[in-house]
Amino acid sequence: MNFAIRYLTEYRYESPVTDNLNALRVKPATMATQSVEDFVVRVDPEARLNRHLDYFGTQVIEFGISRPHDHLSIDVRARVQTSTPAEPLDTDWEAIEDRAYDAAAGEFVLPVGPEPDHLILDELVGDTRGESPLATLRRMVEVIPDRFEYRAGVTYVGSTVGDLLAAGAGVCQDFAHLALLLLRRHGIGARYVSGYLWAPSTDDEASAEVETHAWIEALLPNGSGGLTWIAADPTNRTLGGESHVKIGHGRQYADVPPIKGVYRGAAGSSLSASVRMTRSDVTPISSP
Amino acid sequence: MAALEALGPEALTQAGQRRDAIFMQQGITFDAGGPGSGAVRDRPFPLDLVPRIIPADEWNQIKRGLAQRIRALNHFVDDVYHAREIIHDGKVPWQLVVSRPAFARAAHGIRPPGGVYCHVSGCDLVRDANGAWKVLEDNVRTPSGISYVLENRRAMTRLLPALFEHYRVRPVDHYPALLRTALEEVAPTGGEEEATVVVWTPGPYNSAYFEHAFLARQMGVELVEASDLVVRDSVCHIRTTRGLQRVHAIYRRIDDDFMDPLEFRPDSVLGVPGLMRAYRAGSVAIVNAVGTGVADDKAIYHYVPEMIRYYLGEEPIVENVPTYLMSDREQRAWVLERLDQVVVKPTSESGGKGVFIGPSASDEEIAAQAAEIKREPERWIAQDLVKLSTVPTAQPDGGLAARHVDLRPFAVFGDDIRIVPGGLTRVALREGSMIVNSSQGGGSKDTWVLEADDTPMPHPAPHAWSSPRMPELPMGGSWSSQQQQQQQ
Repeated sequence: MNFAIRYLTEYRYESPVTDNLNALRVKPATMATQSVEDFVVRVDPEARLNRHLDYFGTQVIEFGISRPHDHLSIDVRARVQTSTPAEPLDTDWEAIEDRAYDAAAGEFVLPVGPEPDHLILDELVGDTRGESPLATLRRMVEVIPDRFEYRAGVTYVGSTVGDLLAAGAGVCQDFAHLALLLLRRHGIGARYVSGYLWAPSTDDEASAEVETHAWIEALLPNGSGGLTWIAADPTNRTLGGESHVKIGHGRQYADVPPIKGVYRGAAGSSLSASVRMTRSDVTPISSP
Repeated sequence: MAALEALGPEALTQAGQRRDAIFMQQGITFDAGGPGSGAVRDRPFPLDLVPRIIPADEWNQIKRGLAQRIRALNHFVDDVYHAREIIHDGKVPWQLVVSRPAFARAAHGIRPPGGVYCHVSGCDLVRDANGAWKVLEDNVRTPSGISYVLENRRAMTRLLPALFEHYRVRPVDHYPALLRTALEEVAPTGGEEEATVVVWTPGPYNSAYFEHAFLARQMGVELVEASDLVVRDSVCHIRTTRGLQRVHAIYRRIDDDFMDPLEFRPDSVLGVPGLMRAYRAGSVAIVNAVGTGVADDKAIYHYVPEMIRYYLGEEPIVENVPTYLMSDREQRAWVLERLDQVVVKPTSESGGKGVFIGPSASDEEIAAQAAEIKREPERWIAQDLVKLSTVPTAQPDGGLAARHVDLRPFAVFGDDIRIVPGGLTRVALREGSMIVNSSQGGGSKDTWVLEADDTPMPHPAPHAWSSPRMPELPMGGSWSSQQQQQQQ
């Protein structure tokens, strides 16, 4: 699929602020099933943009606005082409039970920080255990939305898996964190993915208002002796496909936040953020 | 010790009283509150008046061993944040490295000015019962204690000048000059301007604040807190009455986690936002470098002899104490059977916190420690119990008794590694105790490294005191953070 993505964020501050420093992780990744044809970031007030690749390989754009200002807009535009990943092959559990797998999975098979001490986690590990690592991944994307309600506003940006368990509801970020914890308990290397998801409300739409999305990737044997990261989306009961536009990955949300900033001044600010994705490879159906 | 005997117990007791009065008056105290006690109780830092003497030949071996070790640790830090060759060659397991809490992903790919990471180190050494020096712990984050080394020497020359007449003791008071030189050497000035150097303290509530202020004053540089620093256009500045002034090198006495809220701890707005950007751009040296804590982790310690062979192609001059990794199944099983004979330490703590000493533990304590190890094996290491050597130590009645000691020499790495003769000797003040930490009832001694016999008597250097220059204008306004939750 071909998409034009526009991710627009606008902050308004109740009184002028200074030294507004931000780090953006918003550029779609370049990989076998995804290529970036165009990528532009505009910031108002104008600022010099500094770019680097972080530890996980995600492009980071940093900028700072030192003079007083009462608004900040970050306008990101990208053109991306995606294709459907190859159908993952099934292998048995033994294929991931050796030191070579652990070495390849590295930190993505280790727990991140303290985990909630909750019996329900053991129960969920049991419920998601399948005949094979791939079967487990497929169960994962069903069990989580079966057991937890998708509801915005119950959790916040810093919520933990414990918060999701306590509330019984959360958003894609929370679902992804839970899936990661469970997959790692199964001994499967898994990483958090930040990106954009093409999710039109009807099939014939060519443009849709969406939000940044989170899913996961699991490291599975590819049948020919190698290992492949397979994307899975526990919010949408599906493995990753050409509707998923990946930005980058990390152990958890905090490794790949799309926009993170700090400014000096009054705490009061309002935020509006929108992500619009437009299919550039289909002719829009004009309304009669 | 003939000189001490000539002095007599009475003179020693009187000197002790004068010492306490001087230390209290100058604020050379430490927090004796202990964990959980709430209130901070300042006590004069207990300086034992009997110096610890290290002969020239022993010191030469220590010095060479430390320089070798620090070079290897410095290579290791560079390697884990860049090519990871030691990992690829199978010498150190990657999962161990990435699971260290001090492994700093934000430092990935950043090579600081001069390629120096471990600018200041204070490794803890012990001399075992056979007289062999061993490294007990590495410390390449923000080791403290050098101010006590300098103050102890000053106090001793004032209180007991007669003792020095019989020995050619190598001076230590050039440490601030060494540190300042190293900071200037790594400061990225482009050779065009004079380096501006600052000492960054978390503030007066930090337990080592005295030392931060002391070093800033001795080096003649400003002592700053986060609110005095601001990053603009990838350059770090200090606010002065004349406006912003560029800073080239920051001797920071603050943990990585609290340096830059944009990179570390999303829940925190402490620190200097954008500092990592300036660091990445190479416009400022951060001393010690970001991420050095991965090298002094107690589980990584196990691999330091291997690092020395790997990076330097040399055999370690000063050896490790035998250490067992509790994350390794076989080593764990072996240790769990002998918990009453070993010392168990948490891998990521310092200052003697959480240390379990088998031979003095009760059956219940042993059972509890075994449960802790089984619950989180990767959090613990075990070491053979080293019988620390003893040296004569003054008693309240002016007599002398044998007490256990360790040694923390301070090394400074700029263009080269320079080590101040001696270091901080910490002494357990209770009979038989091996715990030398000041927060747990330990004291210290002036440490004398003697000149080799063919060296002429040194002339004591005059002390250069200068008053601190404090930044005057605190920045107004507090920091706020902005971040979006991912939800769809």
